[in-house]
Amino acid sequence: MFTRFEEYAAASMLGAPDSPPRLDGKLLFTNRWERDVFGLALSLSKAGCFEWEDFRQSLIASIAKWEAIECAKQPRWDYYERFLEALLNVVETSGVLSRREIEAIVAARSR
Amino acid sequence: MSQLFEFSDDREASSAARVRALEALLIEKGVIATDSVDVVLKHFETMAGPFNGAKIVARAWVDPDYARRLVEDTPKAIAELSLPLGMTGAEGEHMAAVANDANVHNLIICTLCSCYPWPVLGLPPYWYKDPVFRARGVREPRAVLQEFGVQVPATKEVKVWDSSAQIRWFVVPERPANTEHLSEEELAALVTPESMMGVALVEAPAA
Repeated sequence: MFTRFEEYAAASMLGAPDSPPRLDGKLLFTNRWERDVFGLALSLSKAGCFEWEDFRQSLIASIAKWEAIECAKQPRWDYYERFLEALLNVVETSGVLSRREIEAIVAARSR
Repeated sequence: MSQLFEFSDDREASSAARVRALEALLIEKGVIATDSVDVVLKHFETMAGPFNGAKIVARAWVDPDYARRLVEDTPKAIAELSLPLGMTGAEGEHMAAVANDANVHNLIICTLCSCYPWPVLGLPPYWYKDPVFRARGVREPRAVLQEFGVQVPATKEVKVWDSSAQIRWFVVPERPANTEHLSEEELAALVTPESMMGVALVEAPAA
């Protein structure tokens, strides 16, 4: 029973396969984009774009996909890369953005 | 869309670019506001977190009357401090403090779920929800504490507090020796989340 969406969202992930990295009681972000993508997922669900549980299931599936890759071919583990993939999936399936819009985002390159 | 997501060599740069593009498009379409990300993260960064617990502990160290009130009526004592709005109510209203002293060392665990005093300790570490930690914390707390590097003398009692949805415990650790010259703010900086769970002691800063 959490009265704040932020706490409900974070608490639901703790001790589960999609548990986010944290240190000293705080979320651990090693890059700015990791903080931003975490905040985007929370903001969108808080705004009612999708259920937080739907995002979590997408994240768990994205993590499972990485785990299923043969060890020798497995890219370095990157929690927030899985997180971004899961968010793009749920943003598309929930109809927030179209497939074409998602494709443009995936094609985005660093400036 | 999974096939679209190829692993590239410049993964960090690609991810950063994709997140920027995603945020920009969502703002452009009016799905979220320009400050939405900062607003939700503010909760974890400045509202609820171990920095609140550290302030409470430091106040208890410098003010013995406050320390007594904190143990007697935790929510009321926390409300005396100017913590961020909401950190003393809702989730926080069920919090209760237990103080370490020369005779007692306190350890908090949760054998039911991940009950945890979020407003003052922030996010629990991954092992807090581990069934082994929870079970051994009850059965052999001294051995568990030793593994965390905390040697509790045989003469000192170890009390284990099991958090629940009704009461979420946190520990007021002992003030380290040779810290008389430190300000309340400097003292707060020494307090770790682990010390407020009872799995660590607070160390004085190296001279």
